[in-house]
Amino acid sequence: MTVPRIVITGFGIFSGAAQSIPAFRDAILNGKSGVGLVDLFDVTDFPARIGVQVTGYDPADYFSRRQVLRLSRTDQFALLAAKEALSMSGLSGSYDPYDIGVCVGGGAAGMYQAEKWLAADLQHQAARPDLLRGVLPDKTGTELARAYRLAGYQGSITTACSSSATAIGWGADLIRTGRQKAMLCGGADSLALLTFAGFNALKVVDPEPCAPFSLGRQGITLGEGAAFVVLEDENAARKRGAGILGYLLGYALAGEAYHMTAPEPSGEPASQVMNAALAAAGVEQDQVGWVNAHGTGTPLNDVVESNAMKHVFGERVTQIPLISTKPVTGHCLGAAGSVEAVATLLALNAKTIPRTLHFRGRDPECDLDYCHDSSRPTDCKIAMSNSFAFGGNITALVLGAADLPEEGC
Amino acid sequence: MDTFSCPIAITGASAITVAGSGLEPVLTALTSGRSCLHPVPANLFDGADGLLWGRVDQFKASDFMPPLKARKLDRGSQFAVAAAGMALADAGIAKGAIAGERIGIALGCGFGGIANSAEFLTGYFQQGVAGLSPLLFPNTVANAPASNTSIEYGIKGPNITFVQRFCSAESAILAACRFIEEGRADIMLAGGVDELTPLMMKAFAALGQLHSHAEGFGEGSGILVLERGDHAAARGAAVNAYIKRISTIGLLLPGSEQKGIDRLLPESRSFKQVMVSGAEASVQPLLASVRATHTRYPGRLIGRSLAMGGVALGTLASLLDSGEDGLQLSASPEGPCFAISLNGGSPA
Repeated sequence: MTVPRIVITGFGIFSGAAQSIPAFRDAILNGKSGVGLVDLFDVTDFPARIGVQVTGYDPADYFSRRQVLRLSRTDQFALLAAKEALSMSGLSGSYDPYDIGVCVGGGAAGMYQAEKWLAADLQHQAARPDLLRGVLPDKTGTELARAYRLAGYQGSITTACSSSATAIGWGADLIRTGRQKAMLCGGADSLALLTFAGFNALKVVDPEPCAPFSLGRQGITLGEGAAFVVLEDENAARKRGAGILGYLLGYALAGEAYHMTAPEPSGEPASQVMNAALAAAGVEQDQVGWVNAHGTGTPLNDVVESNAMKHVFGERVTQIPLISTKPVTGHCLGAAGSVEAVATLLALNAKTIPRTLHFRGRDPECDLDYCHDSSRPTDCKIAMSNSFAFGGNITALVLGAADLPEEGC
Repeated sequence: MDTFSCPIAITGASAITVAGSGLEPVLTALTSGRSCLHPVPANLFDGADGLLWGRVDQFKASDFMPPLKARKLDRGSQFAVAAAGMALADAGIAKGAIAGERIGIALGCGFGGIANSAEFLTGYFQQGVAGLSPLLFPNTVANAPASNTSIEYGIKGPNITFVQRFCSAESAILAACRFIEEGRADIMLAGGVDELTPLMMKAFAALGQLHSHAEGFGEGSGILVLERGDHAAARGAAVNAYIKRISTIGLLLPGSEQKGIDRLLPESRSFKQVMVSGAEASVQPLLASVRATHTRYPGRLIGRSLAMGGVALGTLASLLDSGEDGLQLSASPEGPCFAISLNGGSPA
């Protein structure tokens, strides 16, 4: 029996880099970074004061006063990105609500609000208890289910920076098994003092805009936002006349079992996940046009990911660009995987391999092709997207362009 | 669909709860009806007097791991590492006996990471940048228990953590079964872990939840060892029970509640044992549609938590004789709902 392919019929984004798909397409394809000064909270004491913050944003433009009080900043981003994705998919009315599920990759969730409660409590001041309601990431999925009448599966994956990539892979699996007919999958995360201070405390934040794979890079630039995709069985989607925006061909996930924060240096475990994702997708290594790296810009991550590429692609490795879109989007933590999946789909459909911005010089330990000089045209219809996380949680997605032929994989 | 293409066997289980270490103390509490909840210290916050909780005060991490290692782990990770070790031993799996790449872990995590987050932020709020502790930050993530457990036991297969209200562990168990069905792993550790701190109680009080969802809250971990039936048979493992079916819906849509219940519950609705996990009030509409010889409420005795589904399912498996049918129902006020059907196993 042929296993049905999983198609993407809608995607949406609301992030520091862009607040709609057309704007995000422009940012990714034309290399427009969203990095700027962070003013969501006081950052003056930190060595790095920049990030890719959602700016010019007033929740009252989108939500009622009552909703603004109930929804965390993360929930709000999720609702806005999901609305764009669902609208694009034209899903409404196509399936029974119990056949449509939601799976969200979460991170700091409503910590931005909750830490205000904690600060007040420590000073023995009263604070609105509502500030605590979104402290766990599952609330985002609940809000999405409630707002868009998604009564099927409801799940939240919390594997730090790989959460939303895994949410997409797992969502596809729920369709493959026949448990759901459609899934809204992605991730949402907002900047918070916890993560901003935390990564600064670990000394892995670059005071300058992050420069993945460059000489002298010092670490990440944090970002925020949400990105969602709508997944369906290809046959069902075509039957209802949905537009096909791309394919989720396969995924894999694993834990390195090595260290809570440091990646295994050889890159071997990461390469095993990448190979497992390709095998799950039925894709050969030589069909992959490029890899959207986790590409944080930390000294360690970028070398390990380059090593993993060598294990996967062998002698052909210099022909497979390893690019990072984090200089554009910032590291969106729980939302990073879905933001980058959408970036990869947009690039596949534009037949363009995005450029890795902010090049500072060639690092001898990062000796692959990172598209530091420019974006470039491609005819490849398949790309991978990697997500690495605290705890050694690794997820790799294999994505296909909208015009991927049936025999293409 | 809601069933699996191969039998999924539960070959090991263990728990850390206020009742004690292992499943036996939970079973004893269930059969005797003796509550293990104890008073919340009255001086913890205004209104604490008279409240009960299931905080696992007797737990000593150093009973399960070297003290130096224990100090590096958050409380949730300590619970998970301890429970996972006991579950593996219960399944007869020695450390290193199975290739690391063939064992995975899927945990539901409730409030894991919150305590470290609060402590980390408190340092900043009280002392500024100088008060930041880089040692605390890595364990602020909800996947710390699963990942620390994977590091401890060399578990290199699928590794996933869910936070999904009162169904966090059930969400993880579903994923674990799927990973086994797909062949991503031969063995999965699956279940849940949760921790309870005084600050959380204070927050529950602020939200007015101490007399609703958070009443009698507990903590701990319950972890199962899952594998394909033929894998268990090949290594001569005893099977506590088989997981026949897992179904879930996100919410009961107003006006279509019965349709949701019918999708959730299996056609045959008569069970020897029914285990209620999660928020009892949310499970009641589901319970009304099943017939049970015995209905068990472990949360009343050891405390409810967001991720107690592993404790409940391990206990349910232990209560079933060979061939007997059991059902675990779990639900949250805002969704989701889970129904897990078991069939009693047999000794090797």
